[in-house]
Amino acid sequence: MNNILETKGLYHDFDGLQVLFDVNLQIREGECHAVIGPNGAGKTTLFNVITGTYKPSKGQVFFKGREITGMQPCDLCRLGIGRSFQITTTFSRLTTFQNLRMGILSKKGVRFNFFKRVDKMEEITRETDDLLRRINLMGERNFPVSALSYGKHRALEISLAMSTDPDLVLLDEFAAGMSRDETHNAVELIKKMTEGKTVVLIEHDMDVVFSLADRITVLHRGQILAVGTPQEIRQNQEVKDAYLGDLEVNAAC
Amino acid sequence: MINKIKRWLPWAALIIALAAVPKVFGIYYMNFFITFAVFAVFSVSLNLLLGYTGLLSFGHAMYFGAGGYGTALALKYIWHLPLLPALSIGVLSAILLAMIVCPLVVRVGGTAFAMMHMAFAQLLYVIALKSRFITGGEDGLANFPIPPFSIPGVVSFTMEGAPSNFYFFAIIVLGASLWLMWFLTKTPFGQIQVGIRDNAKRIDYMGFKVTHAKAVVYIVSAAFAGVAGSVYAMFQNVVSPDGYLGLLVSFTPIINTMLGGIASFFGPVWGTAIYALIEEVIFRFTDRVELVVGIIFVLVIMYAPLGFSGLMLKLKFKWLMFKNKKMRQAV
Ligand SMILES: Nc1ncnc2c1ncn2[C@@H]1O[C@H](COP(=O)(O)OP(=O)(O)O)[C@@H](O)[C@H]1O
Ligand SMILES: [Mg+2]
Repeated sequence: MNNILETKGLYHDFDGLQVLFDVNLQIREGECHAVIGPNGAGKTTLFNVITGTYKPSKGQVFFKGREITGMQPCDLCRLGIGRSFQITTTFSRLTTFQNLRMGILSKKGVRFNFFKRVDKMEEITRETDDLLRRINLMGERNFPVSALSYGKHRALEISLAMSTDPDLVLLDEFAAGMSRDETHNAVELIKKMTEGKTVVLIEHDMDVVFSLADRITVLHRGQILAVGTPQEIRQNQEVKDAYLGDLEVNAAC
Repeated sequence: MINKIKRWLPWAALIIALAAVPKVFGIYYMNFFITFAVFAVFSVSLNLLLGYTGLLSFGHAMYFGAGGYGTALALKYIWHLPLLPALSIGVLSAILLAMIVCPLVVRVGGTAFAMMHMAFAQLLYVIALKSRFITGGEDGLANFPIPPFSIPGVVSFTMEGAPSNFYFFAIIVLGASLWLMWFLTKTPFGQIQVGIRDNAKRIDYMGFKVTHAKAVVYIVSAAFAGVAGSVYAMFQNVVSPDGYLGLLVSFTPIINTMLGGIASFFGPVWGTAIYALIEEVIFRFTDRVELVVGIIFVLVIMYAPLGFSGLMLKLKFKWLMFKNKKMRQAV
């Protein structure tokens, strides 16, 4: 199988504080890959150096066989990488519709257009409405985003990452702070929206991880501790000692 | 059809009213109105940065001044320069200046952006003050010729000694500027602008180049400030460092915008009108206009941070709630 995303010898430090050590991540095309690990393990930082928030201090990142180390987020988005954030990052003063329309505009390559009113672009409006229906937010179409419930706001966060129709989506703790029902809905949403896409997700909820992931990478103190199928990870003694033991994942799962 | 007429009716009324001003109100109010329109355009151009992109400039006068000085210098030193090229030279000076500084300023935001502009504007102020041989120093430039508006072989309207001709020219140029800026905010690019104000990080992650977008808005904003400055220079027939590049000139559009409301496109226009009216009224009672305006400004920031249009929106909302409640009671 092809690796759609690969990191080679990735290091990152914040002014001397080493956060990532020699991370060699391999994500196969079409899989759903979970990155797990305790708080502060460096998961978000790993996403940040992959998606261009920071340049890694050492090492390389490859996407579809092409080196993308240190490229800007906007360029990576155009190449086909989408991302959601641990801390909700939406356009709070715009409506749900306007939020998602940004993604549709980007997908269609409508960026520096000064000559047409955006409200009169029927194709853009239609596609945005289609997306709203698919993610069950049609009822909140014209709400300012700040008026959405927490669960719906997070669903919008996930959908924004998907709205540009990327080939690779990175989701950072999409279920953080959600109730059980909201989490369940979000998992269904992700299953529906990511068909045919490659997904990398950071998640703490082991039920979610085991229900979505094809493979798992365990990150511990900035290093990869183990990689494998959910089966393999569950049985890995090192992982149990370092991480899963803490969470008291019972043997039944 | 009826809907269409209804939509266009207010605009038609406005145009008729504007056309009637010289006949009905005479020269004093005509001049008052040109000044108002100049500062309305200047303020809206500032709000493209402040309200739509989240960038506050303490030196927007540099573009107003570039427009004013550009046009005045061109008219003074270029023999028989026609009207529209004179206007264009003013606007192009502002655009050129913006293109020079934009690579630097679009990388910063917040306080750095604000203060950097104050420094640039002060620098230009000093240059205008010190290069006496070209700019006339403290006194500035005055009595440069204002050419007629002419399309060779078709029409020619003289501008000197015909205030209503100049009035129409100014109102058309400034009106068109307002419309162009309004239109810009409605395009996909305008959406990106609003997105940057709300969440620049997400805009970046959605595939839009934030610095490029900021640079374009910045240059557009400078261009329209230049239009305002250029028209004002021709209107007053004088440019001076204090009137075009001074600190007060930079703060006027900020005050207008805050009074009228940063969250709405027409807010700064309302603000300009309100400021002008307040000045008119206060002037009859005291010379300390700034003091009173200052107090009003503080009150607005404390109690109506979204200015006049924010207040109107709130009232409209309250009215709707009230009507709703009454209707429910009736049922
Ligand atoms: N911008 C930053 N500056 C300094 N230290 C940071 C920054 N971001 C994260 N860190 C540190 O890096 C480590 C890893 O953080 P993070 O990647 O957010 O972990 P995780 O997402 O796995 O919980 C933590 O010790 C955190 O304090
Ligand atoms: Mg994290």
